[in-house]
Amino acid sequence: MDEKTLRSIIEQVLNGLEAKGAAPAAAAPSGTPDYAGGERHIKITETGPAERGSDPREVVIALAPAFGGRLNQTIIGLPHDQVVREICAGIEEEGLKYRFIRLFRTADVGFMAHEAAKLSGSGIGIGVQSRGTTVIHQKDLPPLSNLELFSQAPLVDLGTFRAIGKNAAKYAKGESPAPVPVKNDQMARPKYQAIAALLHIKETELCDPGKKTQALSVTYV
Amino acid sequence: MRSKRFEVLDARPVNQDGFVTEWPEVGLIAMESPNDPKPSLKLVDGKVVEMDGKKREDFDMVDTFIATYGIRLEDAERANAIDSGDLARMLVDFNVPRAEVVKLTTALTPAKLTEVVSKLNVVEMMTAVSKMRARLSPANQCHVTNVKDNPVQLAADAAEAALRGFAEQETTVGIVRYAPFNAISIMVGAQIGRPGILTQCAVEEATELALGMRGFTAYAETVSVYGTEAVFMDGDDTPWSKAFLASCYASRGLKMRFTSGTGSEVQMGYAEGKSMLYLEARCLYITKGAGSQGTQNGSVSCCGVPAAVPSGIRAMLAENLIGMCLDLECASSNDQTFTHSDLRRIARAIMQFAPGTDFICSGYSSVPNYDNMFAGSNWDAEDYDDWCVIQRDLKIDGGLRPVAEEETVVVRNKAAKVIQALYRELGLPEITDAEVEAATYAHGSQDMPDRNVVEDLKAADNVLKRGLTGIDLVKALARAGYEDVAGSVFGMLKQRVSGDYLHTAAILTKDFNVVSAVNYPNDYRGPSTGYQLSDERWAEIKNIRKAIDPESI
Amino acid sequence: MDQEQLIRQIMAQVMATIGSPSAASAPAGGQVTKEQYPLGEKIPNQIKSASGKQLTDFSLEGVVSGALTAEDFRIAPETLEMQAQVAESVNRGAFSRNLRRAAELIAVPDDELLSIYNALRPYRSTKAELYAIADKLESQYGCKINPAFIREAADVYEQRGRLRVD
Repeated sequence: MDEKTLRSIIEQVLNGLEAKGAAPAAAAPSGTPDYAGGERHIKITETGPAERGSDPREVVIALAPAFGGRLNQTIIGLPHDQVVREICAGIEEEGLKYRFIRLFRTADVGFMAHEAAKLSGSGIGIGVQSRGTTVIHQKDLPPLSNLELFSQAPLVDLGTFRAIGKNAAKYAKGESPAPVPVKNDQMARPKYQAIAALLHIKETELCDPGKKTQALSVTYV
Repeated sequence: MRSKRFEVLDARPVNQDGFVTEWPEVGLIAMESPNDPKPSLKLVDGKVVEMDGKKREDFDMVDTFIATYGIRLEDAERANAIDSGDLARMLVDFNVPRAEVVKLTTALTPAKLTEVVSKLNVVEMMTAVSKMRARLSPANQCHVTNVKDNPVQLAADAAEAALRGFAEQETTVGIVRYAPFNAISIMVGAQIGRPGILTQCAVEEATELALGMRGFTAYAETVSVYGTEAVFMDGDDTPWSKAFLASCYASRGLKMRFTSGTGSEVQMGYAEGKSMLYLEARCLYITKGAGSQGTQNGSVSCCGVPAAVPSGIRAMLAENLIGMCLDLECASSNDQTFTHSDLRRIARAIMQFAPGTDFICSGYSSVPNYDNMFAGSNWDAEDYDDWCVIQRDLKIDGGLRPVAEEETVVVRNKAAKVIQALYRELGLPEITDAEVEAATYAHGSQDMPDRNVVEDLKAADNVLKRGLTGIDLVKALARAGYEDVAGSVFGMLKQRVSGDYLHTAAILTKDFNVVSAVNYPNDYRGPSTGYQLSDERWAEIKNIRKAIDPESI
Repeated sequence: MDQEQLIRQIMAQVMATIGSPSAASAPAGGQVTKEQYPLGEKIPNQIKSASGKQLTDFSLEGVVSGALTAEDFRIAPETLEMQAQVAESVNRGAFSRNLRRAAELIAVPDDELLSIYNALRPYRSTKAELYAIADKLESQYGCKINPAFIREAADVYEQRGRLRVD
């Protein structure tokens, strides 16, 4: 089976289409969002290799390979443009700036956030996966450690994304904010894990070990 | 019009679960993928030149490591030549001693051993587990966490869990910077419930080692390995770095086991089209080759993935069995929510609960699941009486004991007071009497007052900066007048000097004696052999809270 | 479970099959085996910490008085070698090799050990850096197994493109 066929199958699955033959049917919780579909209200373009910043008043946001492109919504159906708007609003509330990058070497959220932190003038970065898993990172920590981790994507709502932006900005200013309250739902896994795996396969398919991290221009349309 | 029957069925918990049909091309298949390699092994001058259909020059990093360190080559040619069906029969035939089977199974290739266990149905696998478990007696492990990372509640819950019989306890964090506090809370709390409990704190690898070096933990488990090279990279390690890490732990006299599980590769997006079980077998060969004494496996946090495909729960038992066939301690998961259905919960657990494993759960949530920071366990504090009744119903040892409310309140109260005193002695943020009271009677963090998180995090960071160690805890506990607790923490630290508990499947008694697969190996040889419930232990299991004594009526 | 009851039961079983546990005594100037295990219980007089303190002298009072410090609670290379021999006596070769690697690493300070571990993680080091670490372990700490292991890792990383590229 070639890559193209594989991709088309994944798309069918994610669009909730019942493909004939061997294609799998994800028996999702009722009302599974149309992860890949819907109107794009965000336009993301690569503008060349990402540079290390020197502005101590910036937070760098790393988007996963499929974010706002092949995929358009988080695991609970939050449109990616709104996710980005909320994170940015949170940063702006604290009077700081932001810029975007995209990694291709990995779609692991810890590495993404750590790369963002390393490129950030403040040393603080945020990593966001398409499904909504998010990390606030600091450049001096080990890659798979973090300042704050939101590992349960189904529990990350728009309010949380705004709070994540705000807290990241506070860390960047050298403050010690109260962490965004941790949420826990033991039933998120039974409901969503298999779909989370499918979404992540979608993401890792776009990885390219040889491609350098790119700076992004993000506009709303 | 809708069938009323189907409407009722649709509303059943099981239909809240996510199910997926098999999809071998991306590895969404539990066992026996058409893409799994056929077993093969070729040696030239004692060196592996072909393994499972791949030539040495085509090996990736995982293949190279397994071929170099994972297979016992002395017996490899003989063992791999035996028919897989014959090997499968040896696993269930109690006339063939464990030691003889292990001699063969540790010499097989990953694809061969996967093929062997795939010949068994679940009842045969359970029979095999009875024989292949490393330690004579089964035991259990629990999670002690809460959503607020409240240190007083952690100590009280650890004390209660120890009283209830868990031989090991594991914590983790909501906020990473709380890690030293959480580790200290459960280490001290557990000793109050029952001396000799091993404790760990699951965090990022290097941080976890640092906590162990300081004497805040007794062992480590979150040393994850993966079955494909790409996923290993996203896990930020290699087989060599993980093997080195294993030696780091042993060099400090700390017990450790690796962690892996079916579904992690597909969950992390790089399964190379192989079945979950075959990839997990590769993880276990890395575990073995790195020289880890044991594994935590059984899908673990990826449980929702194999559980969503056919034969997935069977695959989890099969992977436990592969671990045992490699002569590893097996902490057999049963530690993650994967279903809304109580019937599926027990169906999954009985696979390990009935035959008994080194740690049946790894772990059982000693707190209500809303406080379980491993995203929920298959069993939680609200199931304590169910677990104890099932032990009694089936006359099996699941590692727990029924406890009375009064004694539980006593140990919780003591643990809370001891942590309060310890914080005072160490100059950490105050723990109020109201918090002690709340923790004594709490069910979960919803019953606890909030703490000043920012102040706690600063103090936790300071604990690391000050270079505080386990020895400082012992001294502070003694100063605070809790000599018994100081003595127990001292007893735990002393273990690392002799290193006896580094060995396979080691646990400690309340007198700090080591029970492991070296001095108490599993010697099961059929009915009425191997581990048998003693009269005392059976009396304890029988004595549940709600049983009515006929003479009282 | 109540470990005490368990122990009593197991002891009874074991004694019935192998006779008195006092078969375990000090090794006659050579190998230890599972017969001497647990070493801390059966031959405590032969166990010393890395700092040279006798295991039999370890006490809570010693900690409280300051006679024992955190440095004293470290396992000695000789003890890990004995544990490796115990592991071999029960056919756990891979585990015993780990214990022997570990025995060499006892002398390496905590911070350095952590930094070597981190250097072995993917994309962290160049081949030359890993070889330099191996050389230092050899020359400064007298390690033999670990340097070879690290050089082997460096070679595999090179082959698989997992070294750091600046």
